[in-house]
Amino acid sequence: MRVSAKTKEATRQKVLRVSQELFNSTGFRETTSRDLASAVGIAAGTIFNYFPSKEAIVLQLVCDALENAEATFNRRVRPESTLEEDLFLYVSTGLRQLKPMRGFVGPAFETHLGPACGGDANELGDHIRTGHVEMVSSLLSKHGQAEPPTAVHLQMYWLLYTGVLAFWAKDQSRKQEDTLALLDQSIKMFVSWYLAG
Amino acid sequence: MALNVAELIDALPEVDSDDATLSGGVVSEALATVLSNRPVPTGSMRRLSLLGGLQAKIAVAYGFHWLRGWFQDADQRERALKETHFKTALKMLDSMGYLRGAVMKVGQTLANFPDVAPDGLVQTLEKLHFQAPPMHFSLLRETVINELGDEPHNLFAEFDETAFAAASLGQVHRARLKSGQQVAVKIQYPGIARTIRTDFRNLIPLLLPSRLTGDWQNLKDQVEFARRGIEQETDYTREAETQTRVRQLFFEEDSIVVPQVYPEFSTDRIITMDYLEGDHLDAFLAKNPSQDERNDYALKLTRAGARIVYQGRLNNVDVHAGNYLFMPDGRLGLIDFGCVLRIEGDAMWELYGRLHRAMMTGEDSSIRDAMKEWQQLTDAPRDAENLRLSTEFGKLCWKPYYVPGPFNYGDREYLQRGINVMTELMKNRCTRSHPTNLMQARWHVGWWMMFYRLGAIIDPSPIVNEETSATGWESC
Repeated sequence: MRVSAKTKEATRQKVLRVSQELFNSTGFRETTSRDLASAVGIAAGTIFNYFPSKEAIVLQLVCDALENAEATFNRRVRPESTLEEDLFLYVSTGLRQLKPMRGFVGPAFETHLGPACGGDANELGDHIRTGHVEMVSSLLSKHGQAEPPTAVHLQMYWLLYTGVLAFWAKDQSRKQEDTLALLDQSIKMFVSWYLAG
Repeated sequence: MALNVAELIDALPEVDSDDATLSGGVVSEALATVLSNRPVPTGSMRRLSLLGGLQAKIAVAYGFHWLRGWFQDADQRERALKETHFKTALKMLDSMGYLRGAVMKVGQTLANFPDVAPDGLVQTLEKLHFQAPPMHFSLLRETVINELGDEPHNLFAEFDETAFAAASLGQVHRARLKSGQQVAVKIQYPGIARTIRTDFRNLIPLLLPSRLTGDWQNLKDQVEFARRGIEQETDYTREAETQTRVRQLFFEEDSIVVPQVYPEFSTDRIITMDYLEGDHLDAFLAKNPSQDERNDYALKLTRAGARIVYQGRLNNVDVHAGNYLFMPDGRLGLIDFGCVLRIEGDAMWELYGRLHRAMMTGEDSSIRDAMKEWQQLTDAPRDAENLRLSTEFGKLCWKPYYVPGPFNYGDREYLQRGINVMTELMKNRCTRSHPTNLMQARWHVGWWMMFYRLGAIIDPSPIVNEETSATGWESC
């Protein structure tokens, strides 16, 4: 039987939704592809038609959340805010959107977004990284930085950003308030370093 | 022009110069720039190195003073001591501006010591009460969403994005509730609670050289008590409960106001309360109030302090200018109840009673016996100096109450004597005391400074007697 594109997309979305629920309730490691297929209501092998691995599902969830966060950020950003405020708001809005998956995204950050993954990053990881860095560049430009940031600037930013992500994923403080403090320090550090040339 | 602390210290007069008088004017202004907008470092190792650095700077400053003392006559020593104190305070201020948290609380207490901090510097240190580096609005709104579940502008009819007051633990914004009520919203810096815990973890290793003395356990108890006290300051739910309890102690005829807390807009990290219009002490004094106006406020301060202790069984030890408002209609506003000691248990309350009754006699032997019990001292020779100084300190604290007639709080000699006794207690390493003593001393010194700066000449004893009559101590 031929499956329509619409049905296929609906199933894909269901895989993502159900995966998030199961990863949270059962744990990422403990959830098997068979468990996922069963919960979605498809044959065990069929799930690979949608995603090649559990890690790919997580990365897609992260990508979707960050795309939603970008739209939310554009609504929340204020014209009179400073560069530090904008960068802080951009990252913190992303963290808020990622919050429902905090329990299981840590390893995916390290594998696909961390500074060490370099050329081994997959296509979706590259997409997330490129989108994020482009937004940071546009914020620098909005605040009067005519020269585009160099590769060194962006690498420094990315190091700080992924450090905050890794800290947040394991942050045991009340309502992850320590992450807010760390993010504030990281952004201040980056901006002062960037502006100093 | 922004100066760094090293430049300020270099600019200070040397003790051998003709005029070693310490003028705080220009330095005071320049010091404001030292309180820069640096973030709170929360990493344990980084903070430990900063604290260690601070300790080292202070040790070097005092060591230098000690060496010079061998070669100087008494007058020169006195001048050198002042210079050393001032330089030490500057160095401490440099570190505090960065560390905030617990170390900044030390700085606020330091503002109450005119001997350590000359007049000009006192004014600068007091700015710590109001001028801590602010949270930017993006950080603030994330904190509000975390705590109250929505953006400030959705929760309130109006929300002023600029803080009107800042302190070591948080900052305060004006807002209007949808009911129309003007409120003050106090918001805590994220991570500051952990910063304070880290400070205290770091403090114990720095105290280790004292571990072989007989007072080590007592010293540890005091540090533990201080740790709990300062950590409680980060618990805004507790503070809101205390504030509500204190508010219930005052009535319209007292002309003393405690803002109402709004629990639906308050959490462990945020307190929303009525906004009170009024001046802090500096602004009040700048208007050159008459002696009668000064005295009137001093009487209200006396009543507020006595009511809270004797009827509320609480001790608001965080007495400094930032916590009192001189309102346009003559009322006194009390704000900030983060550092309030709860006098718990009948045994403790009765001990308070015995101490108070003995102090009110003004007699050496009674006060000595009461201080012995309070400070957990013995008749052993090693406790003799502590007991002598503690007795004198107690007598000075209660002197305005047992000496008949009006008492001149503006008497510099009285204030100086009190500070000298405290300094002697510290210099003689009289560390053994009641665990709450650090807080109690903070309370007494805070009152001294407030009343001294007010230049009040009042008889506080009728008010104190009236307030203590509600305790039932006479029958105990």
